[in-house]
Amino acid sequence: MYVSPIREPLIRGAKNYSQVTKDILAPMAGTPSKYWYMGITLAGAAALFGAWATFMTVYYGIGTWGLNKTVGWGWGITNFVWWVGIGHAGTFISAILLLFRQKWRTSINRSAEAMTLIAIACAGFFPLIHMGRLLLGFFIFPYPNTRALWVNFNSPLLWDVFAISTYFLVSLIFWYVGLIPDIGTVRDKAKTKIRKAIYGFLSFGWTGSAKHWSRHETVSLILAGLAAPLVLSVHTIVSFDFATSVIPGWHTTIFPPYFVSGAVFSGFAMVLTLLIVARKALNLEEYITINHIESMNKVIIVTGSIVGIAYITEFFMAWYSGVEYEQYAFMNRAFGPYAWAYWIMMTCNVITPQLFWFKKIRTSLVATFIISIFVNIGMWFERFVIVVTSLHRDYLPSSWTMYKPTIVEVGLYVGTIGLFFTLFLIFIRVFPVIAIAEVKSVLKSSGDNKINAHHE
Amino acid sequence: MNNYITAYYSDEEDLLKGLKQIISKGLKVNDVLTPFPVHGLDKVIGLRRSRLTRVAFAGGAIGALVGFLFQAWVFTNAYPINFGGKPFFAVPSFIPVTFEIAVLFAAFAMVFGFLIHNKLGPGSKNIIHDERVTDDRFLIVLDIKGEANDKIKSIETILSDAGAQGITIKE
Amino acid sequence: MENKTFTLTKKTIAVFVVMIAIGLIALAFGFLSDINGKRIAANLLLNSYYFLSMGLIGLFFVTVHTIAESGWHTSVQRIGEAMSAFIPVGGILLLILFISGGLHQLYEWTDKDHLDELLLKKAAYLNEPFFYLRFAIFFIVWSALAYYVRRTSIALDKLGDVKYLNKLRMLSAIFIVFYAVSSVVSSWDWLMSIDAHWFSTLYGWYVFISMLASGIALFILILFVLKKMGYMGHVNHEHVHDLGKYLFGFSIFWAYLWFSQYMLIWYANIPEETVYFYERHKYFENIFYVNLVLNFAVPFLLLMARNTKRMFTVLVPVAVIVFVGHWVDLYQLIMPGVVGGENSAIGFLEIGLTIGYLGLFMIVVFWALSKAPLVPKNHPYYKESAEYHTHY
Repeated sequence: MYVSPIREPLIRGAKNYSQVTKDILAPMAGTPSKYWYMGITLAGAAALFGAWATFMTVYYGIGTWGLNKTVGWGWGITNFVWWVGIGHAGTFISAILLLFRQKWRTSINRSAEAMTLIAIACAGFFPLIHMGRLLLGFFIFPYPNTRALWVNFNSPLLWDVFAISTYFLVSLIFWYVGLIPDIGTVRDKAKTKIRKAIYGFLSFGWTGSAKHWSRHETVSLILAGLAAPLVLSVHTIVSFDFATSVIPGWHTTIFPPYFVSGAVFSGFAMVLTLLIVARKALNLEEYITINHIESMNKVIIVTGSIVGIAYITEFFMAWYSGVEYEQYAFMNRAFGPYAWAYWIMMTCNVITPQLFWFKKIRTSLVATFIISIFVNIGMWFERFVIVVTSLHRDYLPSSWTMYKPTIVEVGLYVGTIGLFFTLFLIFIRVFPVIAIAEVKSVLKSSGDNKINAHHE
Repeated sequence: MNNYITAYYSDEEDLLKGLKQIISKGLKVNDVLTPFPVHGLDKVIGLRRSRLTRVAFAGGAIGALVGFLFQAWVFTNAYPINFGGKPFFAVPSFIPVTFEIAVLFAAFAMVFGFLIHNKLGPGSKNIIHDERVTDDRFLIVLDIKGEANDKIKSIETILSDAGAQGITIKE
Repeated sequence: MENKTFTLTKKTIAVFVVMIAIGLIALAFGFLSDINGKRIAANLLLNSYYFLSMGLIGLFFVTVHTIAESGWHTSVQRIGEAMSAFIPVGGILLLILFISGGLHQLYEWTDKDHLDELLLKKAAYLNEPFFYLRFAIFFIVWSALAYYVRRTSIALDKLGDVKYLNKLRMLSAIFIVFYAVSSVVSSWDWLMSIDAHWFSTLYGWYVFISMLASGIALFILILFVLKKMGYMGHVNHEHVHDLGKYLFGFSIFWAYLWFSQYMLIWYANIPEETVYFYERHKYFENIFYVNLVLNFAVPFLLLMARNTKRMFTVLVPVAVIVFVGHWVDLYQLIMPGVVGGENSAIGFLEIGLTIGYLGLFMIVVFWALSKAPLVPKNHPYYKESAEYHTHY
């Protein structure tokens, strides 16, 4: 396919196919570096902290959390929404960018999707643990039981069960279908018998047949078409958890698209945080280039600005509505006891991403890394602000109170972060972090040595 | 007993050129194995557009029906309860779950259809002709079961004329 | 040889002039018969807003593809540019409607002496000077950007210098940012404030996506007409396919936002909010469902298959339906608040006036098309578009 010569190449270093295979498989070979061990030790320690907190919650009950009569939702749902949001980037990159034929996705989709799956697993942990009795988690699924009871299909929390499970399963098969050819590559390059056997089993007998490739492309495309509205539906339904209520600050119709945009925003920030480190550590700088970073930064500007417009719209409408409760909820957010959280949110989410309008900043690794961390923080605070400020001063002033997390809640949160990094570090050792076949398919048109004169 | 002949190219453009030449000579190419989907290859070897999309559509339609009817049955028939003054047959409430089930069914129908159709799956025993197919080789496979020796010779000549490398006869 | 420049023939002009005449007759009929003045004002608002938005969507199409570094759109971008030529005309028509007394017919908040408590609270925003100030800002910036985008695009084609592409990107970014805010605020001003007591934070995005889906439908129709007239031979199935995908995708997205807004208001069941849909259910029940069928069910079911998105035989009827459908959508946004259930109807006034506006819109678009080559062959990305073919 013809590509204009004024476009920047996506893959640097004038690679040929065999070099691509070698470079991408390199991080999986040999023994891990000492940084990898340091990372997994740190992440594992955090995960252990989480395990302790889980034990405390299950053994003593939800009373170990800082929730009270007025603030019935705290860090638990904040972390849940935060993780679900982060879990949006992977499928956004692989599905929506595929539909829009963005070739730069090929270098980042695999790791972003893996991150998505891990983030959804971390998210799913919070609704489970908040039940207090993990073994009774299956109660949330509709199954014929002796009480002849069915679940409440009118409840947004139940829609969440369906949305998150569907999203996890569909993302998983989407990711795995994409992985099959690359597992074939790992199998064929494996040096030991046992490695060959394991990857041979996982590769599902992939041969690279033209027929299979043709169907593989169709399946990827249709899965992308299915996953695109699915991504939107997941955070929409998460937003319904809040917006179907009659609580000021929660009940507002802009929530569905605004949550989706915020989710993609935070997801891209997390992808950037991970990849800026990973590309360096795994020697993949020629595959995940500064152009990829720049493109992701542009997505950050767009989604961050949409989030900013939504904040301002909400604030304006609170005034315009003339509803005093709504007005109070927003004044309380901005100037009440949790104003510090609100202004952290505003600074991190609305102001910092606007710096990406400057080309210097959006092509600087250091600046991007710092801003991506800011966005991660800002998006966590967004959920905290929404959840806590709307609850802590409700319709009944005698019940007004404050909320502080306990060490157990902190432990659960830190634990999921530990789990996230542990699983991600395992992932980069087990599977290729970049979609090998997809990179090869854009190499001719978008590699460093692209031949522009040639076309069919 | 000779079963098939394989030969490879190391560039997809040479592969397409060579294939056109081979096919124009009247040879039947059984399979082409490539490291990535080669644009235009399906046209050259005459592959039809996959009809797996219909499987996905059927899965989605069944999923939507199952999802919607099940919820409607639970709330109007099996266990009608008044939730917050909402009607029993609360269509807007049913839409999220209906949508999710539809997508779930469509995606799984499609992927399982794909695996079954291609005979791919855990423990699948497909022949790996050349381990570098998943790296940088574009391999073509021709069936020569029961062909005479001089016919095989002529096939080999056609292949090497078309620029194919590493022509091997396999059992 | 391919026809690269569009010539506006007398025959074409005659068709559009007849259409405009029908519109004027319908308007005269409205004034002469005993049709309520509010209904006339509401129809003028509906059509002015609708076709002004079509112009803006044309500009949006060009600018959003420019900043997204897209290549394929260059084959059809002239259509978007030509649509944007209607922006100043639509703005002036809207202004004439407002200053010639329409403002008081349409918006109850203009009646300063009879404001209730709630509207008094909103008077800091809903008052005439501020309303006109916002109108002026939107109108001037939109028209200016439409003019400069078009001029830069033509300069780029004439000289083929990348400098102009960079300038075009800059202008596009400015427009997108400005439009992101102005499309929302203008829809509050001109549409949502009809039901001045009611509010919905999603409203602006809902109206925008409605206009976007409809704008793409009109885009496809203009492309089809041009092809029928023997132009745009460089546009192949792939370009049509992409436009079809947009129509399909944005129609689903419209349904998503419609559902989000309806669901949240239905579920929370707060009387101040549900009153909006209560009115529409009670007096406009048919329109309420027709809206969903035309704008979601039809494009969703008919454009799902790959082939139907590539063939004009299916795509064009669907585009017509969607274009009519979003007119109906605007109808149900405007009429219940201005005219009310008892006095509303779709008669000669509604249909005739819309035909008139369409004629005016088309004459402006075709005039703009005739001013520049249809093929921007010196655009740095044009070659990508000309040789464009894909699996999907």
